[in-house]
Amino acid sequence: MMTRIAKLLSKWPSSKALLFACFTGLAALALMVAAILWPKPIIVVLGMSVAQGFGGIAFLLFLVSVAAEYRRDTGATSKP
Amino acid sequence: MTEHFTIPGVLTLVTAALAALLLVHHLLARPAITTATKVRLLFGLGVFPILTAALNTAEGMHRTTTREFCGSCHVMGDHLRDVENPDSLSLASRHGRNPHIGESNCYVCHANYGMMGYPLTKITGMKHVYYYYFGGYKDWPIEKAVAEIRMNEPYPNSNCMQCHSGKLESWRNVREHSALLEDLTSNKVACASAGCHGYSHPFSKKAREEKQAAR
Repeated sequence: MMTRIAKLLSKWPSSKALLFACFTGLAALALMVAAILWPKPIIVVLGMSVAQGFGGIAFLLFLVSVAAEYRRDTGATSKP
Repeated sequence: MTEHFTIPGVLTLVTAALAALLLVHHLLARPAITTATKVRLLFGLGVFPILTAALNTAEGMHRTTTREFCGSCHVMGDHLRDVENPDSLSLASRHGRNPHIGESNCYVCHANYGMMGYPLTKITGMKHVYYYYFGGYKDWPIEKAVAEIRMNEPYPNSNCMQCHSGKLESWRNVREHSALLEDLTSNKVACASAGCHGYSHPFSKKAREEKQAAR
């Protein structure tokens, strides 16, 4: 299991994942701001559900990217 | 666009703007993944958005209790106009003029009483949103909505009695209250009925009767 995760992290495209996370994060923020500015029922519901899902995905991508970069850094320094 | 901003509402906009600035900067500059970039993104994707989500939820929970929000679906238009009519003598309008609950009088009267009242009311509210957007209510003319949309179950007297407590002497001193105490607590007799305090939204009863007579 740990080997699988390590393999996945070593191949993780951090730069692309972070760019995608930024777009997803911006979409989440836009929905939340819309819920404040135009508080119609469907927008408020989306702001408190879908937007939080998008935000969660973006943050998860960030965390995985940081872990992948850490893995690469430590892997590189531990090589003889 | 809303005219009433609350502190959580303003803070939501501020934290969202800060997060957006960091994210847009990353998208435009496309910097190398250094420690500084990671810290910036921690704030742009983590700290500020989490704050935004928490504040937005607090604001959303508050916003969904306001009369303006309930009246934003057109099927509630007549209810809203009646409540806001200073000359209306309906039970709902009289409660709407009460300064303690005025702005939230739909929620205060219709929210379930008890420990789980708040989440249960919000879940029921989600059903209303579903029916409005996906159940066809959105396309109903207001006349049809007023005549046909009705409460899922009879209005519980316990909702009235969260403010008009049956334990108060002034309440118990009313002869009708003490005579009907059992029926009132078991919901056999409604506080908001023609024989007692009148209907909350009498125009909807009238519309329903007219519709039934036409059939």
